[in-house]
Amino acid sequence: MLGHSIIKKILSLPLRSKFILSFILVIASGGIIILILGTRLEHRTIFSLAQAKVRHDLEAAWMVFNEKLKDIHDIVELNTTHEGLQAALQKGDTAQLLEYLDLIRVEFKLDILTLTDSRGRVVLRTRSPDNIGDDLSGDPLIQRALKGEVVSSPQIVSADELTREGEDLAKQAFLDLLPTPKAAPRLERYEENGMMLKAAAPVRDENRRTLGVLYGGILLNRNYEIVDRVKEIVFKGEKYKGREIGTATIFQNDLRISTNVPRADGGRAIGTRVSKEVSQAVLQEGKPWLDRAFVVDDWYISAYGPIKNLEEKIIGILYVGMLEKPYVDLRNTVMKKFTFMAGICLIALFIIIFFIIAGITKPLQNMVLATNRIAQGNLSHKVSVSYQDEIGQLADSFNRMTGDLKKANDNLIIWGKTLEKRVEERTRELRNTRDSLIQSEKMASLGKMAAGVAHEINNPLTSILINTHLMLEQTPKDSPFHENLRLIADETARCSTIVKGLLEFSRQHPPQKNPSDLTELLHRTIKLLENQVAFQNIRIERRLQSNLAPVCIDKGQIKQVIWNLMINAAEAMPNGGTLTISSRFLPEDNLVEIVFSDTGIGIPKENLNKLFDPFYTTKNSGSGLGLAVSYGIIEQHNGKIDVKSIPGQGSIFTLVFPVSC
Amino acid sequence: MSNKIRQNILVVDDEITVCKSIRMALLSEEFEIDTALSGEEALEKSRERTYDLVITDLMMPGISGMDLLSALRKLNPGIRVIMVTGYPTIKTAVQSIKLGAFDYIPKPFTPSDLRGLVSRAFKASSLERSPGAITEAKEIPSDLYYIIGHTWLRIEGRNTGYIGVMDDYLKSVGQIVFFEFPEPNKNIGQGEMCAKIRDDQGFSYGIWSPASGKVLKINEKLKTNFNLLKRSPYQKGWIFRIELTDLEEDKQGLVHNE
Repeated sequence: MLGHSIIKKILSLPLRSKFILSFILVIASGGIIILILGTRLEHRTIFSLAQAKVRHDLEAAWMVFNEKLKDIHDIVELNTTHEGLQAALQKGDTAQLLEYLDLIRVEFKLDILTLTDSRGRVVLRTRSPDNIGDDLSGDPLIQRALKGEVVSSPQIVSADELTREGEDLAKQAFLDLLPTPKAAPRLERYEENGMMLKAAAPVRDENRRTLGVLYGGILLNRNYEIVDRVKEIVFKGEKYKGREIGTATIFQNDLRISTNVPRADGGRAIGTRVSKEVSQAVLQEGKPWLDRAFVVDDWYISAYGPIKNLEEKIIGILYVGMLEKPYVDLRNTVMKKFTFMAGICLIALFIIIFFIIAGITKPLQNMVLATNRIAQGNLSHKVSVSYQDEIGQLADSFNRMTGDLKKANDNLIIWGKTLEKRVEERTRELRNTRDSLIQSEKMASLGKMAAGVAHEINNPLTSILINTHLMLEQTPKDSPFHENLRLIADETARCSTIVKGLLEFSRQHPPQKNPSDLTELLHRTIKLLENQVAFQNIRIERRLQSNLAPVCIDKGQIKQVIWNLMINAAEAMPNGGTLTISSRFLPEDNLVEIVFSDTGIGIPKENLNKLFDPFYTTKNSGSGLGLAVSYGIIEQHNGKIDVKSIPGQGSIFTLVFPVSC
Repeated sequence: MSNKIRQNILVVDDEITVCKSIRMALLSEEFEIDTALSGEEALEKSRERTYDLVITDLMMPGISGMDLLSALRKLNPGIRVIMVTGYPTIKTAVQSIKLGAFDYIPKPFTPSDLRGLVSRAFKASSLERSPGAITEAKEIPSDLYYIIGHTWLRIEGRNTGYIGVMDDYLKSVGQIVFFEFPEPNKNIGQGEMCAKIRDDQGFSYGIWSPASGKVLKINEKLKTNFNLLKRSPYQKGWIFRIELTDLEEDKQGLVHNE
């Protein structure tokens, strides 16, 4: 549940944060893996290099060690050929050799140089001349030499023997065991035996008979020649932070007897012992040891090899080691540099990714902003497009879309404006129509009035005129009344003329004919009327010829005719019905025909011929002029108006007039 | 004159003053004049008595002038009927001639206008009854459209025509002493007066135009020689040339022999 909500939270983060988060995750995990692998690899590389070197150094140490042994071997062998030795042994008088051999011993820096007879009894001991006569035939080295071999080997020398060879040597060999962490526990508190490099060679007569054995050697305990030489040859005295990098040690068993590993107080760390695991591997199993090892007080990359005596018995260890610290420091430095580089790369990557993400998310953010703006109604806002990638294309599409929207919106606005204008125009038109209707209504009323006046006035006028004339006839010309009666007659005639003029005026409007779109006029007039109350229950069916050529008409007058006929039809259908209006061109006579067909009450046959008479009306409200006026107009257009009707079924009014003027 | 047979005239008008005025205008020894104030009354009277001439108003409540005309002609096919018409119903009046009326007279009129017409009516009757009337009658050319016994129209081209007076009309008038021509460019409607003549007996007669239109040209020869009228009524005796504006409509009221 918690994990789910965290994932949900992460998923609802802004896109940019999600991108950055996922990139960081990828980069960081990649970086960490690379760092771990890198350090491991580097660690291994450095240490295997160091170990290879140390192994190599151990070989070099062995060379130094063996060279020293060979030196002893050579010195001893060389001196057995000395004539004095043969003679002295044959004579049994070795006293005069003492000086010479002692000189040799000192000269070649041997600790001991001793001569035995053919049975292995010491006859001359250069280091302690007084101490002779002991039997050394048990010594394997002496035994082999007595058999005629020249042998050399490291050898453990007991404290007694050391004492016999020289008390100072026994003292030199004596070592207190210092407590060493990690070392295998040992019961002894000290070590009194020593380790020597020894060589023994037979002294022979001319017949190659063994007369005795000359043996010499050096005590390795507290003798630092080999280890220092190893250090000098192998490590060339390199130091690291005031400490010798290279160290070499000779162990007697697990005890350091000669070393240049320093103690904390600066002295040599003799008396300390090797760690338990090294001891186990090298001393018990006879295997060389290559690894880092904790030596005395510090870590060393080290190599240990077993020192064997003549009988191939392991008696000690030769060790070389390099202070690990330089490598560790090197590793740390490398690590630091590596981490630093990785960090810089990470930051660089992050910056690059940041910009890439910004490049991705910025247009998206822009788009979100843009949508907000557009939502607020700013349709002219555009998303800036930097690159033609998917987002660029999206932005393009988006801009196109908003463009289209804007266009549509503008069109709507324009349409709205034009609609207003149209409404205004239409209102004006309607007003004009109404005005003209009122006008025609007025005219019709005037005509009606004039007609009424004419009819009514004609009768009195007739009476006046006739009677005046009758009086004139009976009045002599010289009568003073004659002139007056003449005046009455003339003025009465003038009245008649005025009435006639009035009637003419009300009836006659010469048409202003122009080629016009009759179909459009029909549509317009129908539209004007179909919303009127009178047409509420009436279905208007249009069957208008669409491609009608312009017809020469007075639009206003023809409109009035259409109007009158439609109103007539509506009044014939008080309970609803269908008014069919059709138009067509009659090419043979170059005429147009308009037919108004209603489903109304119809007209009785006896009324058909009165229909177009002025003042003929069946209605209470009409002027009785509508059809008469229409008739007149169609007449003026050189056309014809015709009506057919079946009472109860409907009427058909047909208008026909010429197309051309 | 007392032994002379008096002509019976019936005057019909819904207005008594008009009836009286007409009676007064025609009052003479020659005429016996009755009046009726409605079509119904007129019909009643004509059943009781035979009239030689009926002068009736066209527009009346009840039985209209037109209805009366057909009813009277049913009773007496030889009866002469003069229609009195107002200006608005002039086309109806023209139609009435087609239906058997002798002629019509538009209101208001003078006594002499009426007397002229009445005299023409009786003269026409007497001519009809006189022997050889048929042989004397000039044949009506077939291309004419005409108001019976009145005027004719000869269509020339698309929309012009010549207008003249019918032979029988001219026979019903005396020696022409005065001819009043229409004014050029004047618009005239069908049935309206386009010319006026006066004869030696002092009567004046209106001449009704058979067609609507604009007066284009006057027959100048006729101006100097009225005899052309009677000599060649259908050819050289034409009165004026007209630009026809309403021919198709006009034809409705005209007679055309084909």
